Formats: sequence, C-alpha cells, structure tokens
Amino acid sequence: MTSPVPAVGIAGITKRFGDVTAVDGIDLEIGDGEFFALLGPSGCGKTTTLRMIAGLDFPTMGSLKIFGEEVGTLPPNKRPVNTVFQAYALFPHMNVADNVSFGLKMQKVERAERDRRVAEAVGLVQLGGMEGRRPNQLSGGQQQRVALARALVNRPKVLLLDEPLGALDLKLRQEMQLELKALQREVGITFVFVTHDQEEALTMSDRIAVMHEGRLLQVGTPEDIYQRPANRFVADFIGRTNLLEGTVASESEVVLSNGMRVQAASEHDFGTKVAVSLRPEQAFLYRRGDSPAGWPSIDGVLREVTYVGNALVHSVAVDWISIEVRTPYRSTEVPPQVGDEVSVCWEPGGVTVVAD
Amino acid sequence: MTAVGDRLLPGASVARVGDFARRFSLTRGALAANAWFVYLFFYAPIALLVVFSFSADRNVGRWGGFTLGWYDDFIGNTSIQNAIWVSLRVALLSTVISVVLGTLAAFAIERFRFRGRQAFDALLYLPIIIPDVTMAVMMLLFFSEFFDLLNLLFGADLRKGFASITVSHIAFNISFVSVVVRARLAGMDRRLEEAAMDLYASRWKAFRHVTLPQIAPGVAGGALLALTLSLDDVVVTQFASGPGATTLPVYVFGLIRRGVTPLINSVSVVMLVASVGLVLLSLFVQRSRGGGAVGPPGAVAAGRSRRRS
Repeated sequence: MTSPVPAVGIAGITKRFGDVTAVDGIDLEIGDGEFFALLGPSGCGKTTTLRMIAGLDFPTMGSLKIFGEEVGTLPPNKRPVNTVFQAYALFPHMNVADNVSFGLKMQKVERAERDRRVAEAVGLVQLGGMEGRRPNQLSGGQQQRVALARALVNRPKVLLLDEPLGALDLKLRQEMQLELKALQREVGITFVFVTHDQEEALTMSDRIAVMHEGRLLQVGTPEDIYQRPANRFVADFIGRTNLLEGTVASESEVVLSNGMRVQAASEHDFGTKVAVSLRPEQAFLYRRGDSPAGWPSIDGVLREVTYVGNALVHSVAVDWISIEVRTPYRSTEVPPQVGDEVSVCWEPGGVTVVAD
Repeated sequence: MTAVGDRLLPGASVARVGDFARRFSLTRGALAANAWFVYLFFYAPIALLVVFSFSADRNVGRWGGFTLGWYDDFIGNTSIQNAIWVSLRVALLSTVISVVLGTLAAFAIERFRFRGRQAFDALLYLPIIIPDVTMAVMMLLFFSEFFDLLNLLFGADLRKGFASITVSHIAFNISFVSVVVRARLAGMDRRLEEAAMDLYASRWKAFRHVTLPQIAPGVAGGALLALTLSLDDVVVTQFASGPGATTLPVYVFGLIRRGVTPLINSVSVVMLVASVGLVLLSLFVQRSRGGGAVGPPGAVAAGRSRRRS
C-alpha cells in the first residue's frame, strides 16, 4: 500500500558552499516505493542533494519533507532515512554483525529483537555465516552487501545510495544492479540513488532526474528521458546520439545547417536554434537511392565500419558532420563497404528536436 | 646463480665488478665503524652511570668496589620518595587531563571550521617550539601574579606547589598529545562518523563508538609521550614548583648543587629505566595497533629536541 504523500518532497532547495552554488533551487517529488535515480556528471550537485536528504548537509534555503514532515534542519540521527555510502564506510573495528546492529543499538532496540533483525538483514543480503568477519576480510561485493544490510536493518522510510556500485567491477556491477532492483521490490522501501552512469540509471530506476550544474534538467521514466530528452544536454548525456544543428522552420519542420529540410515536430518558436537528435540505433543505412519512400534521409559516404560483436557501428561522412549509425550484425547480409555512397534514413517521427 | 652471472659478464667488467666490491667493502667498513662510534657516543655515558651507581666510593667517577648501598640509601631516603610520589602524581594527573583536552583540541581543529581556527592551530604548536626556559619564566610570572591576585581578592594563601606544577605540565603536554592524535585523525575516513550519525548516533556517540576506537592508538601514544615528558621535565617544573613540593628530576638537580654522591647515579638509573620502559611501551602500543607510520616517531623526536632546548 503506497502512500499518496511523496516519500521525499523537495521544494526550492538551494545549497551554497561559500561562493559556489552546488544545488540551485530544485523542486522534486519522489513517490513512495519508487526506485529513483539522481543522474548527472560529477559536480552536478546530485551527491549534495542526497546528502541534504540524509541530513549530512543542510540546505541554504528551501523546504525538504520526508512523508510530509519537514526535516530540512534535523540532524541525520533524527531522520527516518539511512544511507549506503560511496565506498561503504563500514566501521573497520567492528565485525559484520556489529556493523549491521550499530543503528539498532543506537536506537536502543532490545537485544533479542536486535539479534533477530540483524540475522534477518544478513540473510536478506545473503551473507549468512559471515557475521564474525571484519570488513577488510570481505570482497568488494560482500562489503557492499554489508553496507546495504547495515542500512536496511533499521527499516528506513527512504534508503539513500551514493554511487552504490561505483567501486565494483563491470561484471559484478551488472549482477548487483539486478539484485538491488529485486531487493527493492522485496522490501518495498523508496530507494534514491546517485549515479553518474547513465546506463545504470536506465537499467535500475523507475524514474530518473537528470542534473547539471546544480539544476534539474528533466525528471521522467527511463523511456521518457531517452526518447524525449528535454534539451541538448540530456540528449547528449543519456546514451549516444547524433545532433544535427538547425533552426525551426515550422511546427513540423527543421532546416538543417546545410539547408536540408527535415520533418520533425517541435514546440519551439520559428527561428529557434535547435538540434535534431538522431539515435544511432534508430538510424538506418541504405545504398544511395534505395531508401524507403517517404522516409527522411541524408546522403553521405561511408567512412568507417566497426564490428562490436552484436552490431556494426558505421561512421557516415555527410558534408558538414559525421553521423553514427548502429545496425544489428547479420552474417548473411553483405553490408555496405567503406567508400560506398549511402543514405542515412529514419522513420518519420524517429527523431527528437532539442534546444539548448 | 653466480655461474650464470659470470657467463653473462664480459671479462673487462668482471675486473670492474671486483674493484667495485673492494670499494664497497671499504664503504661498509666505514659505515660500520661510524655506527659503532655513534653507539659508543650514545651509550657509554649511560653505561658509566649504571656502573658507578654500584661503586662504593663516595666520589662519583672513582671505583671503590661493588655495593648496593646507594640503592639502599635511595630506598631509605624519604625526601627522594616524596619527590618520586609527587612526580608520579603530577605525571598521571597532567597526562589524564592533557589527553582529554589535547584530543578534543585535535578533534576541533581537524573536524570543524570555525573563526580563529588557524590561529588556534598555530598557538597549539607554540609550547613545542618555544624554549623550555621561556615557557618556565611565563609559568613563574603567571603563577606569581595569579596567586597574588587571588590572595589579595579572597584572602587565600595560595603558593606554588603541586597544583602549579601540574597545571604547567598540562600546558605543554596538550600540544604533544594533540599533535599525535591529529596525525591519526587526519588519516581516518570522515565518512565513518557520518555513517555513524546516519545510523542514529548523536555526535557524541559517533565520537565515542566510531572515532575514538579509530584514533585509540594515537591517544594511547600521546598519553605515554605526555607521561614521559612530565616525568622528565626539569626546567618548567623548577620554575613552577615551590617549597611545598618538588618532582624527582628537580630534586636530583638540587642534590648536584649540594655535592655529588653516587646516590644521584642510583636515582638516575631508576629514572632512566622507568623512562626507557615507557618509551618502549609507547612504541610497542603504536606498532601493535597498526598506527606505526603516523605522527609518533616525529612527535617523539620533537619531544627529545624540546628536552634538549
């Protein structure tokens, strides 16, 4: 049963460190039970936002509510949230069981109840039998699980995760992505996690907030963000894309900088400088003249083909830029060769128009 | 191994290798001689001190046969025992207080940003840098004026003695403790404290349950250093002590002026053994708790130079 009150309600939050504005007046509502990602390049203010929710930094101004209760000025130990820290910050002088039970001890939970909940949390992250080990006797993945158990054992209303998978190698990271998601479904707690890895954000989250230079650029589902980026930065940051510069000619047409007219719907005013975002996997490659009727196309010359296992990445030189086209690899087909004259096409409506 | 090496080396360079080996052995010899000379320089006086503490002759430096008489005198001498008793009480009390204050000072400087932090930081190092005599004269002036004022205002009868010695020892020990503890704190991940507070610990509980266990080796090392410095101090104590109480080093210093007997040797040997024991214990604690590299060696060196100054 999810609550209609947002788990985290942020209104006009600003954080300044001296002259530097780390977070610049953001508004955000995170729903109960959501798996929510704060995504952005380093220095965009995502970690500061998370730390303000945790109570480790206090906002310069604005309101911060957890399930409707204003917590902006409460110290971290008075908030119903727990954090999984970057690099975990496990207590090195305590074993796994003591690390996990620390929060309960501080809340003066009774011994029997504490032992029961610690055992439950350790089991939840599949670390049974490791209770007596010190953090330095555990692998990176196991430390990560201890950090999760240490936070979850307190049954926080919101769990905050700061680059939780950043210290793990690729294979383990992908496993943990799925595991974290399964875990979140199991415990039903709101997860807010910070990452600079757009793929991780797309894979794991219900909704993503893209941040840049302390501002919130777009909030939406992974599909929203990927298919309908709000601006040039989001289009460029999330996944790979080709940005074709141009100006808006009408509500359904953009004139590219080489004079070519492209059918693309936008709500921008006539004459606005925009870019047409064409995803490499939504572009198709045809020999010059073979392109399907009614599909927008740009002519060019194939400059390079890279085999990446499951796909071929083509680099097509058009007179003023080069366009990346990604096609599935099929051994039966004879692909166009380097030097061939080709056309890059896309389905009508297969592009997005983004402004700065 | 050597056969392979010989085969690989052309004839000419074999000769040069031999040359090098000869020169190398010369260097080694010189280094060894130097080391022995340094050892002699360091330890010969100590050996002499120990040997002559067992000499039956009244004149220091003339061997008059073996005796334990001076140790017997030492045990029977109540004023020396009083001095030792004062020394120990001053050392323990000043250590406990300076460890608490020094640790808190280190924590404040390392963890908080406040107005005057840098000035406080610089001032904290002052007792390590300034000469003992300066410190001693400052203490003398301070206690004279302060006690005069109190006596005048409240009609009290305060004199320099146990309390003033203890306070002056605390004054210099705080610096040494905070230097050692700070080195340890600087090496500790700050996020551990944040994690503790995130897990419902108040600031105090985070300090008590997470910070303190992490910096414990530094605190212990600082405490032992403070204890040693306090037991050894002559100059500051001399100026801060009064007729009521003297510490052992100051008492020994007084003995010298009245005429030297091997009693001083026996007293010195006891002090030496106690000091060395404490330093060894300090190093042992540091090493066994894995705090080897941070602070303490430098701090111990600083302590030495302070005593020399």
